Amino acid sequence: MLNTDIFTQIGLNHYLFLSAILFVIGMAGVLLRRNAIVLLMSIELMLNAVNISFVAFSKYSGKMEGQIMVFFVMTIAAAEAAVGLALAVTIFKRFREVNIRFFEHLKG
Amino acid sequence: MNPEAFLFWFLSIVTVSAGLAVVLLTNPIYAALSLAMTMVGVAAVFVTLNAYFLAGVQLIVYAGAVMVLFVMVLMLFDLKAEIQAFSRGNLSGFLKIGSVAMLGGLIIGAIVMSSNSLLGNNLPDLVVEADGSKQLGKLLFSKYLFGFEALGVLLMVVAVGAVALARSKGGTHAKH
Repeated sequence: MLNTDIFTQIGLNHYLFLSAILFVIGMAGVLLRRNAIVLLMSIELMLNAVNISFVAFSKYSGKMEGQIMVFFVMTIAAAEAAVGLALAVTIFKRFREVNIRFFEHLKG
Repeated sequence: MNPEAFLFWFLSIVTVSAGLAVVLLTNPIYAALSLAMTMVGVAAVFVTLNAYFLAGVQLIVYAGAVMVLFVMVLMLFDLKAEIQAFSRGNLSGFLKIGSVAMLGGLIIGAIVMSSNSLLGNNLPDLVVEADGSKQLGKLLFSKYLFGFEALGVLLMVVAVGAVALARSKGGTHAKH
């Protein structure tokens, strides 16, 4: 009889694995894609993955501090998306494309 | 299989496949829609973790505001499927995928090896937070009040900065 506890008993580790997999997917997106907007989306994916592990730790240790941290991370993520998209708009106005290649021309 | 486990596996499959779609689809609009799906999945995972208020905030802020921002910018640009969505070079591609796989293996190995010591050996009985939102609010407005106010100032600065950046004529190479 195969032991199926790992599939039926959901614990902290399961949520941490989910968080790790999402984070790694986001990191692959940041490394592999060329479109600046998709890059920003991948960063959002990574931030969400970290949020999952914060909330999981918060639940399984019975403390609320993890959720406070998630609150802050969400706000910072929204701010980061706004600034990043404004930069992408600026790049697009100049080069008619949002390839990450053009970000090296950003100096003064 | 108990309902909790079924819910977890269902949500994790949905979330991970939507996350993969964000990275793999070459049309940015589809990537944005997959990202919205991922956000909804993450919000549902928050619900299974008893963080109801955060699940609501996740839906409103991410699946609502941030995704609308992304989709609006994409519509503004009128981007078709890109000719070259992924970075060039087989060697660097393999290096990147290898480094990503190594990081993933490292994290998962660390979780497995420290699974007994992450929270001490005796896990506390699962605290049912019936008034989790109340506790969260009390903590946010007492112990973390300074951080909260600082976030307010940061959002103000970012709003002004984003408008200033996006309005600047000719971008960074303006012809004077």
